[in-house]
Amino acid sequence: MKFLNLVLAGLLVVVASCSKEKNFDERELHLMSPEKIAGFDPIQVSDRYSGHENGKVYEGLFEFHPLKRPYELIPNLADGMPTVSADGLTYTFKIKQGVLFHESPAFKGPRELKSDDVFYTLRRLADPKLSAKGWWIIDDKIAGLNEWREKNTNLPVTNYEEPIDGFKKIDDYNFSIVLKRPFPQFLYSLAMPYTFVVAKEVVDMFGKEFLNHPVGTGPFTLEKFEQSNRIVYLRNTKFRDKFYPSEGAEGDDKLGLLADAGKKLPLVDKVVVDIIPVDQTQWLNFQKGRVDLMEMKSMYERALDDGNQLHPNLKSNGIRLHIDPMLDVTFFAWNYDNPIMKNKKLRQALSLAFDRAGYNRTFYKGLASEAQSVIPPGLAGYRKEFKNPYTKYDVTLAKKLLAEAGFPGGKGLPDITVETRSDTIPRQQVEFLAKNMMEIGVKIKVGQNTWPELIKKVTTRQHQGYTMAWGADYPDAENFLGLLYCPNSSPGSNGSNYCNPDFDALFKTATQLQDSPERTSQYEKLMEMVALDTPWIFGFHRPEVYVSQAWLKNFKQMEFNHSQFQYLGVDLEVKKELSKKF
Amino acid sequence: MKENSLWKDSFKRLAQDKTAMISLVIVIMYTLVALLSAMGLIASDWAREVGASNLPPSAEHWFGTDIFGRSVLAKVLRGTQVAMSVGVATAVISIPIGVFLGAIAGYFGGWIDDAVTWLYTTFSSIPNIMLLISITMILGKGLFAVYIALGATSWVTLSRLIRGEVMKHKEREYVQAAGAIGGGHMRKLFRHILPNVTHIVIINTSLQFQIAIKSEVILSYLGIGVQGEPSWGTMIDDAKLEISRGVWWQLAGATLAMFLIVLAFNLLGDALRDSLDPKLKGK
Repeated sequence: MKFLNLVLAGLLVVVASCSKEKNFDERELHLMSPEKIAGFDPIQVSDRYSGHENGKVYEGLFEFHPLKRPYELIPNLADGMPTVSADGLTYTFKIKQGVLFHESPAFKGPRELKSDDVFYTLRRLADPKLSAKGWWIIDDKIAGLNEWREKNTNLPVTNYEEPIDGFKKIDDYNFSIVLKRPFPQFLYSLAMPYTFVVAKEVVDMFGKEFLNHPVGTGPFTLEKFEQSNRIVYLRNTKFRDKFYPSEGAEGDDKLGLLADAGKKLPLVDKVVVDIIPVDQTQWLNFQKGRVDLMEMKSMYERALDDGNQLHPNLKSNGIRLHIDPMLDVTFFAWNYDNPIMKNKKLRQALSLAFDRAGYNRTFYKGLASEAQSVIPPGLAGYRKEFKNPYTKYDVTLAKKLLAEAGFPGGKGLPDITVETRSDTIPRQQVEFLAKNMMEIGVKIKVGQNTWPELIKKVTTRQHQGYTMAWGADYPDAENFLGLLYCPNSSPGSNGSNYCNPDFDALFKTATQLQDSPERTSQYEKLMEMVALDTPWIFGFHRPEVYVSQAWLKNFKQMEFNHSQFQYLGVDLEVKKELSKKF
Repeated sequence: MKENSLWKDSFKRLAQDKTAMISLVIVIMYTLVALLSAMGLIASDWAREVGASNLPPSAEHWFGTDIFGRSVLAKVLRGTQVAMSVGVATAVISIPIGVFLGAIAGYFGGWIDDAVTWLYTTFSSIPNIMLLISITMILGKGLFAVYIALGATSWVTLSRLIRGEVMKHKEREYVQAAGAIGGGHMRKLFRHILPNVTHIVIINTSLQFQIAIKSEVILSYLGIGVQGEPSWGTMIDDAKLEISRGVWWQLAGATLAMFLIVLAFNLLGDALRDSLDPKLKGK
């Protein structure tokens, strides 16, 4: 043991002395991941951090514009946006010519991306033997795919050769995908990590080891992969001509986000990602200038002073602060299986008694924005000027409505248990709600659960109320409005089992439309409809706080940011200058 | 010279021990606080907001306020009620089980002994906290489940001690004499042997009491203990996030309260053992 310790100590010295010699000639990006990476098999990438790593090596047919907001889907491997048939079922795609996969012993010479690779990728996602985590995004969407999956469940080896109705190859660069029914959100699934394009030869050659040997078309190649320690990427020297965008959102110009417009991507030669699970260690590394970017998660107060400005000592090192709302909504939901909750005045009374400003101060340093309804800002369907009359804090009105609802002073109303996770903050959040509700005589109890227990209670309708946050899967309000759509009731995503026939009818028509002003106005109507009906106590759109070093260029917060890293740059002059200070 | 009874003698020895008396006073004070709180005379309005959020200790709020502006002192007092009730309930449940099983195992031997020994070795081979967690998971959360879980797990030591002691006593002359004048098993066991091993119950309870309090704190810290009422465990859980912001008073209040009662029970337990079982003194 002593010997091992000595060796370890020796190693530490070596590592420390290595990192001291900073390299100012090579454009290196230093990032960190707070969690271990699940590996490089795109169909299994369900978490955000594995998505970041896969997005460096692989690419999808589409991606989100790195600067424009609201989020705009733009072609990546696809050559232009697809044409959609009048019935909304057939999508015809064209892919860029001359896109090469990284070099690999699996290929004989250079290997170009073809239509078949896209079909192969989607088939893998549906392969019953692989139990892909991302299957749900195309489940029951593509003609003939579910049947193919079903048929192959009992075969010893999945048959990839059998034709599928929904996949129509035109030539090597043109193909169509036929859907079962109109589903305009389909294109978003082609920008998610699950559908990053892989090559059959590589999967066949590496078999189970495939997840450690990624070969994609992306801007970086994997150089070193130590799952719980460090990942190193090098610039893909054969990367196609892809350039930094020349337009962005309003104000991006002033922030210097367009300075690199027209430059060939990626902007750095090397990316080093350290796996650092402990908050404190992350923060020390950032302060030492060893990493370029850090997500502050729940540690805002380390970087912010009382006025929510960056601490002066951080500012003096040129560190920048980025605060933006996430695409999410938090809520306290009631269970509509409980007849009491069908009482609209009761629901409105509960919502009015909730002190949002106090809650925001206590849990988000006042940085969150109060949700007026279910759709977060940044999505079509959100209206900045819309104020929900039942989200203000008005105890008198709440008491009045409670009496009108038949429960004067809370009399006759049974205790309501609100289920949450048993961590400190979730518990305190429900305690805060309970404290508010006590003022109008309503008794709320805290139900503490492990995450699987909570999910089980919600999906099996064994709850009176619960609280959760919903984050966007893709930037479409459908993803949020669907939380209140009756056919999505438990075990679906509508955990409150809320049913409103008017809402359901309009939701059905609106979500079949392609993105258009018509659809946006229908989304807005739906948003107002639920706001006034107050099915939940609407909570917040939470803030996301990042800090970045002075030399990191082009960082702009993004919800779907797995392809963002190719756009980031490093200013070596600034880094050299500032490194004297660290 | 008048002969003192065994109990009187022991109490005299105990009264000479200053530490033990201080410990006893502390235990009595905690019991009083718990009783007053249970009757609603103190800390009944612990959920009320008394000031701004996270106020440091001051003349007005002795232990400061928590994140919602509630008095930490009130929470500590209310937590005392929870902790003491857990100790008492655990004792009430575990003593009868432990004494009964230990006594019959030690007295009858044979297959009864085998069965009881098997039962308690099985119980003690499962890590205690795991067992507690699984029991609270089955019973659902809350104070009641904590009572049952701790009661059902803390009889093992007592049972083992009683078994050994009964084995020793059953061969003694006075038991044989009781048998000779026609005493049955039950009479010998419960009228003659048990009164002679009661001191073990007392010592053990005093030590088990503080283990129960600690277990309640751990369970509540993990979120599977007391729900919707202040507990020292939940307060320490709160403090986990507050401490980096320099809010130390909730942690201090809860740990101080726990430290005092656990220390008092430990010292008292030792002193009780010394006075009730003088042969063991200093061991």
